[in-house]
Amino acid sequence: MSDTPILTITGLRAKVADEDIDILTGLDLTLQPGEIHAIMGPNGSGKSTLAKVLAGHPDYEVTAGEIVFQGTSIHDLEPDERARAGVFLAFQYPAEVPGVSIANFLRAALQARLEKDEEVDLFDFQDLLLERMELLDMDPSFAERPVNDGFSGGEKKRNEILQMAVLRPALALMDETDSGLDIDALQIVAHGVNTLRAENPEMTILLITHYQRLLNYIKPDVVHVMVNGRIVRSGGPEVALELEEQGYADWKTQEVVPA
Amino acid sequence: MSDPSHAIAAPIDDEETAIPLDEDAVGRISEGAPAWLSERRRHAWSMFENTAFPTTRSEEWRYTDVSRVVNLADLRLVTRASLPQNGHRPPMLAAAMDEDHAAAGHTVLIDGTVTHVDLDPALAEQGVILTSLRSAVHEHGDLLEELLATEGLPPEEGKFEALNAALWTDGVLLYVPRDVKLELPVRATRWLSHAGSAVCTRTLVVAEPGSQVSYVEEVLSEDFERRTLVSSATEVIARDGAQVQCVSIQRLGRDAFYQSAQRTLAHRGSTLDTLNVNLGASVSRLDLNAQLLGPGAHSDMLGLYFGDDHQHFDHNTSQDHIAPDTGSDLLFKGALDDHSRAAFRGIIRVHPEAQRTDAYQTNRNLLLSDEARADSLPNLEIEADDVKCSHGASVGQLDSETLFYLLSRGMSRQQAERLVVLGFLRDVMTRLPLGGVVEKVTRAIERKLQHV
Repeated sequence: MSDTPILTITGLRAKVADEDIDILTGLDLTLQPGEIHAIMGPNGSGKSTLAKVLAGHPDYEVTAGEIVFQGTSIHDLEPDERARAGVFLAFQYPAEVPGVSIANFLRAALQARLEKDEEVDLFDFQDLLLERMELLDMDPSFAERPVNDGFSGGEKKRNEILQMAVLRPALALMDETDSGLDIDALQIVAHGVNTLRAENPEMTILLITHYQRLLNYIKPDVVHVMVNGRIVRSGGPEVALELEEQGYADWKTQEVVPA
Repeated sequence: MSDPSHAIAAPIDDEETAIPLDEDAVGRISEGAPAWLSERRRHAWSMFENTAFPTTRSEEWRYTDVSRVVNLADLRLVTRASLPQNGHRPPMLAAAMDEDHAAAGHTVLIDGTVTHVDLDPALAEQGVILTSLRSAVHEHGDLLEELLATEGLPPEEGKFEALNAALWTDGVLLYVPRDVKLELPVRATRWLSHAGSAVCTRTLVVAEPGSQVSYVEEVLSEDFERRTLVSSATEVIARDGAQVQCVSIQRLGRDAFYQSAQRTLAHRGSTLDTLNVNLGASVSRLDLNAQLLGPGAHSDMLGLYFGDDHQHFDHNTSQDHIAPDTGSDLLFKGALDDHSRAAFRGIIRVHPEAQRTDAYQTNRNLLLSDEARADSLPNLEIEADDVKCSHGASVGQLDSETLFYLLSRGMSRQQAERLVVLGFLRDVMTRLPLGGVVEKVTRAIERKLQHV
């Protein structure tokens, strides 16, 4: 392959910082720029842990293996450094930030990407925000609401997509983006992701999901099955359909009796 | 404040202007004063001497061991303003004053003495009075004799109230006649420059029936090199139907002990709102009492504080509903970093006549470090049966998931804290109707956040 992978994970083991047992148990994964990968797996397989470890959540500790993002190990990078380098985590349960409007939140996030003596131009920012909201068919008044404060599940996920649209990450990790959404909300969110992808085909996406239904709307190039902290099968979109029919039971059995 | 451009306030070097806090001082300060005032000061001094120094055994001072905060014997009273030799205002003072263009009038107090007063001539023509208390003693003696340290903050209120009533050097009188409405706020800037001094000033605001006024004061200094007492006594009277707002922003330097007593008297149909912002000083103590004296009176009582280092904030509030159909709504919110500490002790008292009282009291704290601490003690004392009262208090940590969320968007921990703190304090600021004040307070908080 001539392309340099955007993300290479080798032999990754990780645990909750103050516990003993690894949740990720030797995970390998390679993403090329512009690819969409889906990771599917049963509850407790470590999918969300993987997302948090990649984003640098302080509750988790890498015990072995390596994560290389755009050619550099990110092991020693703080979460904010990873974000500024181009990693974006769309949260399953985004936190509420009372009293802080989405607009101010995003302005602070952009400000963080500038040098100390530079300042986000207020008018440029307003233009950018309006343009991004228009792209995602969002009402401009949405940006004046305090971040996730009293939001419905669908609004929270739309807010994540809006942030992704403004921050334009090289790698978007989408953690259970479909959870808690009805079919209408799911379609809106998927439409947002597809719009951003169409605009920027270089953006790489790692979708983490329990259910196949999200993959009806966002088409992955590669589907991985994750069980007990590692990838046990990788393939095309047909893997997701197989899982939909057969469930995860077979995979769990295979793990219990190693080959 | 660690900004290197900020000088440190120097100790008093002029022995003539610095005298110990004793009975002689009362005599010296009374020279040339009318008999009623000299007598009032002497009475206040005897109250001071006969009042025990507060200890943590008393309920009102349980959170602040004031004997460890200040030793009055070490302090010297400053009776004159000492302007910088070169005539230039210190940068911090200049910056604060230059923000205050939009105003109906200004006063500047340097080391407890009024050095500047201006008032829109059109307002002066309508009978509005903005003047120093020293001048008012002679020019508006009857008004002061009736209202200064009498029904508001008499020396019987406590040790520091008595000290202030005996030894105040100057202060501000703001008087608004019947039905006169001031569109713009009256602003006061109080600058302190002498380490080791005790500066006692008073403020008297009288709003006659149907009038409207807002008063915004800012108290500030550089860091002191030893303990310095800044004592304030603020008495605010809103007559029938008057609308009054009082804002106080405290940005004193380290080693200041800021002791502020405030009483608001709201008569029939008046609104009398206060905002106290405490950002500076090593120790600050606020005693705030709102009296709802006439039917239909209402007071909003807002408070904001943000501590770092070893700062200590003590808020002691009371809402006295004396007449029926009155309302009060208190909201104090603060963020605390490092080893800073805040205490809130508040009480709503509904007197037997005060039926149909609506009274609320909320204190919320956000802790940004494991070493910061907040104590909250809300209380109700209800002697009427048809009332709506509630109180609430909370102390919360900066949530680690919230922090991670902000970090994951690329913000540094410092930027994330800044955003969370401003957001946390925002609902207090949005309740301020005054133009310019929100910006001033936000700037003051942001200045402080830059040092976190």
